[in-house]
Amino acid sequence: MLTLTKDRALALALLLMVAVMWMESGDIRPPTSWQPYGSALFPRILLVVVGLLSLLILVRSLWVNVPERPGAIQLITDWFQSRRTTLALFLLFGLYAALLPVVGYIAATIGFLVASLALLLGIDTRRKWMINLTLSGTLAIVIFIVFRYGLNVWLP
Amino acid sequence: MTNFFLQALAEVGTPSVLGLIIIGVLFGIVGGSIPGFTVTMAILVVFPFTFAMDPVSGVSLMVGVFVGGYSGGIVSGVMLGIPGTPSSITTVYDGYPMAQKGEPGRALGIGVASSFLGTLISVAVLVFFGPLIARFSMNFRPWEITALIVFALTLVAGLSSGALLKGLMAAALGLLVTTVGYDRNSNLRFDFGLPAMGSGFEILPVMIGIFAFSQLLGNIEKLKDEKSDAKKIDTNVTIPYGLILKDMAGQKLNTLRSSLIGSLVGALPGTGGTVANFLSYDQAKKFSRHPEEFGTGTPSGIVASEASNSAVAGGAFVPTLALGIPGDLPMAIMMGVLILHGITPGPMMFEQNPVLVGAIYTSLLIGAVVMVLCNLLLVRWFAKISLIPQQILVPVVLMLCAIGAYALNNNLFDIWVLFIFGIIGYLLWKADVPLTPLILGVVLGDNLERQLFRALELNESWLTFLTRPLSALFLALAVASILFSLYQDRKIQRLKNAAQRENI
Repeated sequence: MLTLTKDRALALALLLMVAVMWMESGDIRPPTSWQPYGSALFPRILLVVVGLLSLLILVRSLWVNVPERPGAIQLITDWFQSRRTTLALFLLFGLYAALLPVVGYIAATIGFLVASLALLLGIDTRRKWMINLTLSGTLAIVIFIVFRYGLNVWLP
Repeated sequence: MTNFFLQALAEVGTPSVLGLIIIGVLFGIVGGSIPGFTVTMAILVVFPFTFAMDPVSGVSLMVGVFVGGYSGGIVSGVMLGIPGTPSSITTVYDGYPMAQKGEPGRALGIGVASSFLGTLISVAVLVFFGPLIARFSMNFRPWEITALIVFALTLVAGLSSGALLKGLMAAALGLLVTTVGYDRNSNLRFDFGLPAMGSGFEILPVMIGIFAFSQLLGNIEKLKDEKSDAKKIDTNVTIPYGLILKDMAGQKLNTLRSSLIGSLVGALPGTGGTVANFLSYDQAKKFSRHPEEFGTGTPSGIVASEASNSAVAGGAFVPTLALGIPGDLPMAIMMGVLILHGITPGPMMFEQNPVLVGAIYTSLLIGAVVMVLCNLLLVRWFAKISLIPQQILVPVVLMLCAIGAYALNNNLFDIWVLFIFGIIGYLLWKADVPLTPLILGVVLGDNLERQLFRALELNESWLTFLTRPLSALFLALAVASILFSLYQDRKIQRLKNAAQRENI
């Protein structure tokens, strides 16, 4: 069975994206006498380029001998497990983006900073908690004041 | 020329703009001195603060960050032995050994003086060549501009070490990103039924997402490899001014050569400070009467490294201002900032916005002076700041990126754009896809499509691209750059295979 490698995963993901976008490009208004080239031509040229390059990457990756490795699902699970901190940080950022309009800038920012600093710094000592809370609170408020009163930018 | 500079000086010389340049330089040095933070990240963090400013103030602040950032790498390079930015790697070769011998002040002083002179020489290059190239490129028609953009993208993609296919693919992906939303004919493309996608993606959240997430999360993943003895360094530094003047007096030719190399490399697309750094260090060693002293703490090594990486600042502005084509990542972001302020970089800028062009020159000069003063007076503090752990920096910078993306249009959708492109950028980085061609594609996509179809509307034959001499030349250079990269890739592969065989 074919082993999943970085290049193979990349090429397959891009080929899938090209297929989806090619189908979606069918919805773009067709050329007219006023617009003889139409709006789909440029993205389609790019899709062909990306598709061809992805195919080349895929073909080249098949030439390389890869030692036998566990199945694709196992590999993906291992990959996610070895990057738990990174994934948690992405998750916290996504949560931050979702909460911003709901609870407002100050609460969401303090929440995001406290949670992500706790994740990265740890919470095993009182000193770390003090650094975390002081930094999160101060920074969220200082940035708010700078944007709101210094730069006249309203934050949510 | 004198009038031009006086007019620009009147704009930049106000207390508020001077204050912004000082803040920019300070922040740039801090950004450059924190290992793993980089000049690009410093620019990204500062840019949201320019939204509410007039163009001169905003650009002056950014130029300050740029000048400070390129010199900031010396602090951590000399004190910690870790280059603050990739463009100061060779500074460590001689700066750190000199500091270890008990002369950190001398190493820092030589580095700062070289940075200052490098910036000054690069501004002279910019002032001389910028208008010259802009005047020449005024003759460019859509065919030439299209071919030039294609050449710039292939050159940058080709320079992605050992990853030509991925570099080209990244450039095409970057261009593809700009096709989302309403096009030049008000036709909707790739909205996938989502109304928010109709207006397309703003350049800046896309750029920040792609670059910042991969860089910051990469730093977090590398944390376990970092040395824990960094906190033991002595930040009590005294600068021996007399000795530095004596050192610099013996480095005139080296300073000039390294600064010119830096300016030239800065002006070439896809190269930047890191290439300039290695190239001028190598040249300084070859021209030196004592090449054996390089790597042991010689002033010549520090001068070559710092003069060249700081000279990149002025050189990199040449293609950005004169042609509207950014040479590297910091310049791509700088171009995004100029566009945000309603200014389109390119040959017309010299005619339409001469004061702004002058303001850039003047800010670079003032920034260089401020950089020297800040570095010499506050070096102890910068050394302390460079010890801020990534665990604290990463969440803070991510938060600032989110606020920056939101503040662009007061639009929460831009934070989601930042987040989605953050994930894409991180995954592409993990798959060893170079991100610089992708970001340049995002910056140049709209212009490429506009110029391509303008050319075809003027003359429907695609062959015109080959029959116009300059357009044909740029396309030939694009093909040549791809062929050269292929040759380089094969050479690298052969060397790798040979090394593997030897190991067996």
